Formats: sequence, structure tokens, C-alpha cells
Amino acid sequence: MAEKKSLMKELTKGFLDENPVLRLVLGTCPTLAVSTSVESAIGMGLAASIVLICSNVVISALRKVIPSKVRIPAYIVVIASFVTIVQMLVKAFAPSLDEQLGVYLPLIVVNCIILGRAEAFAGKNSVLASAVDGVGMGVGFTIALFLMGFIREFFGTGTITISLINGGQPLWNSVFGENPILIFILAPGGFFVFGMLIMLANKIAEKKGKEKAQLHSCKACPMFATCTAQEKEECDR
Amino acid sequence: MKKFSFKEIAVPAITLFLIAAICTAILAVTDSVTAPKIAENNAQTEIAARQLVFKDAKAFSDVKTVEEASYVEALDETGTVIGYVFTTSSKGYGGEIKIMTGIGADGKVTGMEILAIEETAGLGMNAKKDDFKNQYVSNTGDFTVVKSDAGENEIQALTGATITSQAVTDAVNNAVEIFRTVEGGDK
Amino acid sequence: MSTLKPLLAILLTAILTQNFVLAKFLGICPFLGVSKKTKTATGMSLAVIFVMVLSTAVTFPINNLLVKHNLEYLQTIVFILVIAALVQLVEIVLKKYMPPLYNSLGIYLPLITTNCAVLGVVLLNIDNGYGFAQSMINSLGAGIGFLVAMVMFSGVRERMESSDIPESLKGLPITLVAAALVSMSFLGFAGLVENIFA
Repeated sequence: MAEKKSLMKELTKGFLDENPVLRLVLGTCPTLAVSTSVESAIGMGLAASIVLICSNVVISALRKVIPSKVRIPAYIVVIASFVTIVQMLVKAFAPSLDEQLGVYLPLIVVNCIILGRAEAFAGKNSVLASAVDGVGMGVGFTIALFLMGFIREFFGTGTITISLINGGQPLWNSVFGENPILIFILAPGGFFVFGMLIMLANKIAEKKGKEKAQLHSCKACPMFATCTAQEKEECDR
Repeated sequence: MKKFSFKEIAVPAITLFLIAAICTAILAVTDSVTAPKIAENNAQTEIAARQLVFKDAKAFSDVKTVEEASYVEALDETGTVIGYVFTTSSKGYGGEIKIMTGIGADGKVTGMEILAIEETAGLGMNAKKDDFKNQYVSNTGDFTVVKSDAGENEIQALTGATITSQAVTDAVNNAVEIFRTVEGGDK
Repeated sequence: MSTLKPLLAILLTAILTQNFVLAKFLGICPFLGVSKKTKTATGMSLAVIFVMVLSTAVTFPINNLLVKHNLEYLQTIVFILVIAALVQLVEIVLKKYMPPLYNSLGIYLPLITTNCAVLGVVLLNIDNGYGFAQSMINSLGAGIGFLVAMVMFSGVRERMESSDIPESLKGLPITLVAAALVSMSFLGFAGLVENIFA
């Protein structure tokens, strides 16, 4: 019973309390870059989640085989392989998604969330727990991307377009008529909406008596483990 | 001089090598499965686009070349050439824009489709909308981009995306030019 | 002159209109994390420029080799490993032979391995079908663009230290709003390069 309860906790912690994007401030690049529409945001969320779950499982299964000296390169090899597999599958079966995500699809390999979870969780925990952790974090990442995509597409174009629903036509007529608030889908809108979402997440966390989200420039970085003591000290300044 | 330690140097190196080798093997298998599918997708997009830009055509010839530009001929039921389809590209705001233009034997543009585009979402990406694309249809070119009140052979620029509009128009004009070369060569 | 013009256009596009940080959203982590002080921002940026140009020089022939043997699907995995190994190598070499340079840039090097801007520029060079010279110029431009964005932004953040910020915006939210304003200023460059070289 206790086992089940803690698994449940591993799953749901990623949704809000430890949301990788809004609380841990990881994976900011794809969050800002592909959130110009709901469709590409969800596509990115799913692609990254699949890579995250698979790499978590494999790395956790291999955690006793991989010598700790070469664990970072080994993790990178595993992650890069899954990214390439996902990329090939997307190209073959969802070419329009490949077009939307462009270079950000192979760049999942440097998404801090994935290497970060490998280092912080999968390398130390059982296969089942790592899989659950991957699902939770993946869902959290997708939720954050969806929120960003929805707000930016709604204000930026006045409507939502998803190619699988309604035959690729907008779901409703633009609420802003001919003049939507274009800046929302441009670069500045991305930064602004992200800032506002972090503020909201901070408010909710505050009510629960938790700290504000902070960007630990170094501790958030998965390569932190490879830094020398002197570097770690420099970094914390 | 430190003594060479098998356990500290060789074991990690061999493990890492094995992991890399296995991963590469898995990738090679996935590639052999997906590569034909990807090639088929690309070919199908191309064929579908051809049909879209030249709706009257019943069939298309093999790819032909004229002065380093390649094109296909659009054929009717009897196999007579009724026009051409050109694929041209130009540099837009965010990268290369690749378009396909159908031009009838009378020199009128029958349709234009965008094959690859990486412009700003919501601005330059609007070039994919029919309102913009249809401006070229039934005109003979050369096209010029104007900001308002487009007349014959004039293209109304997309709001906030003059560069994209110009780039797409340049590519269409390129197609018109190749058309003239092809037609000139025939006569 | 005619060969220089397109290269100059690539350089200016990479720095201004297609700025890696502010328009393409690559390298956001260091942009938000290491931009508190102008000095660290400059150090980080110089390290990024160095690694970007070096990685491009090394990966370009490797990519040719991969394409020749129909192994394009290994691009991602090979590039990230090459970049990681390169960064480690640079760190060791700097530490041993150029201690002053190591002291100013060294601490940023490990952070760069997983910086998506470096892998991003390598992949974009290939996507755009650039030749060797164009790739090098594009990488240099991307790096300089990163430097410009970092230094500008660190200036804004230093000013913010002493300003009165609404309680709920303190910390990360106001940093992101400031980033939005800085990136808005870069929108002003739209069309600039095309019109210079038109």
C-alpha cells in the first residue's frame, strides 16, 4: 500500500508541485519556441515525453551496468538514440508535425528535463519508479506547453486551429476580427506569457507554503555534476 | 606515472562502446523501416501539390530540365502538353521558401502551392492561406508586390510580412521566367 | 565583393534579425541564468562563440562523411557527442596551457555542452545547406548575436536590481517581462538586412 502511495506521488508531483517548466524552470527553450500554436505545443510535449519515458526506463535498467565515470556520455547516447528514433517516426507518420517543430525536434536531446531526470532520478531508482517519474514529468511538460500554446494562439490569432479536429479549419471565428494581438505569437509574446505563467505558479506555490520558482543557473544544469569544486563555487555566486 | 588500471579505464570505455554500438544498431534498423516511408511521403506530397496547382491536368510527364531548372509537363487525356509545373525557391525572412507554380500553355498561372516555408507564425505563415495564393491565379506575371489596392499582376502584401510576400513573389516570377525559356525553346 | 556580400548578409541576419536568443529561443537557460552581471555574461558569451565556431569547423567534415555513407540518421547522436568531447578537450587544453584564459572562460565550458544554441547552430547550418564558409560565418554571427543579447540584457538586469518591482513579479517573472521588452526592440531590425543588400 505504501509502495502504491509513493508511486502515485511520483506521478503527480510533476503536474504542478514540481512542474518541470513552471516550477523547476527546465526546458525553457522548447517551451518558448514551439508554443506559437496549441498543435505544435502538444506535439512537442508528446515527443519529448516519449523520449523522457523511454530514456528513463533504459537508463534505470542499466544503472548497475554503467560505470559512474562515464554515466553522462552514456546517458547522452541513450537519449540521442531515442530522439533520433522519435524523429524518424514523426517524419514517417506525421510529416506535418515534423515541419512545425523543425530543428527543435532533434534539439530535444539537449532538453535539460531529460538529462536532468536521468541524472537526478532514473540513475538511482527502480525501473517502475523511473517510468512513473517520466510519465509525470512528461505530462507536466505537456501541460505547461499546452497552456503557453493556448494563450499565445488564442490572443495572437483569435482562434485555435488543430488539424485533426474540424478538418484543419479554425475552431471558431477570430474573436478579434481582422486584428488579433499579433505580438503574442511573436518572440516578445513568448517571454511575456511565460513570465505571467511563472507568476501564477508562484502564487499557487506560495499558498501551499512553498518557495518561489528560481533559476539555479548551475544546479538546474545537468552538466553540473561534471563541474569541478572550483567551478561549482564560481557558479553559485 | 600512474599504473594502467584495467578496471578504471578499460571497463568504462568498453561499456560505453557497447552501449553506443547497440544504440547505433537499433537506429540502423529503425532507419531501414522508416526511410522508404519517408521517401514515399515526400513523393506523395509532390504529386498532390502538382495536382493542386494544375487542376485540369490528367497526367504529368517525367521531370525535364532546361538551363539547370527542372520542371514537369502537364498533360490532358490525349497526352498533349497543356502547361507546365515549376518548383522554385527564394530566401524569405526565416529561411528558404520553396514553392510550386503551375502555368498553362497560354502563360496564365493556374495555381501556386507552398512546399516548404519557415516564416513567422501568424505573419509570414499566412502566405499558405488561399486568399494570398489565389492572387497569382489567372495572371501572367511579372508580379510586383504592393501594400494596398492590388491591380492586375500586382500582389497585395501580407500584413506585417512584406519580406515573405516579396520572397514568394520572386519565386513565382522565377517560375514565369523558366516558363518563357521553355516556351521560347519550343518555338 | 560579390562573394563577400552574401556572407555579410548571413552574418548580419544571424546577429540582428534572426538573433539566436531573442528570435529563435535557443540558449535561453544561460540567457536567463548567467545574465545577472555584465562581466559573467560577457565571459559566458565569449566561451559560447568559441565553442560554436570550433564545433562547426569540426562537425562540417564529419557531416560530409555521414552523408557520403548514407548515415544521416546518426547526425544528432554524433554531433552531441562530438560537441561534448570537444568541450572537455578545450577545457583540458586551456587548463594546462593557458591558465589565464581558463580562469576567465573555463567555468562556463561544462555548461555549454547541453546548451541548445551550439547543437542548434550546427543543425541549422546543415538544414540551410550552407557550405563551409557560410557555416562558419553563420556560427560566428549566431555567437556574436548571443553576446549582444546577453550583454544588453545583463545591463537591463543590473538596473532592475535597484528598482521597485511589484511583489508578485519579483524574481523570474520580471526577468521574463524584461526579456520580452528586449526582444521587442530586436523586432525593429526586421527587414533591415534584406533592404541593405537588396
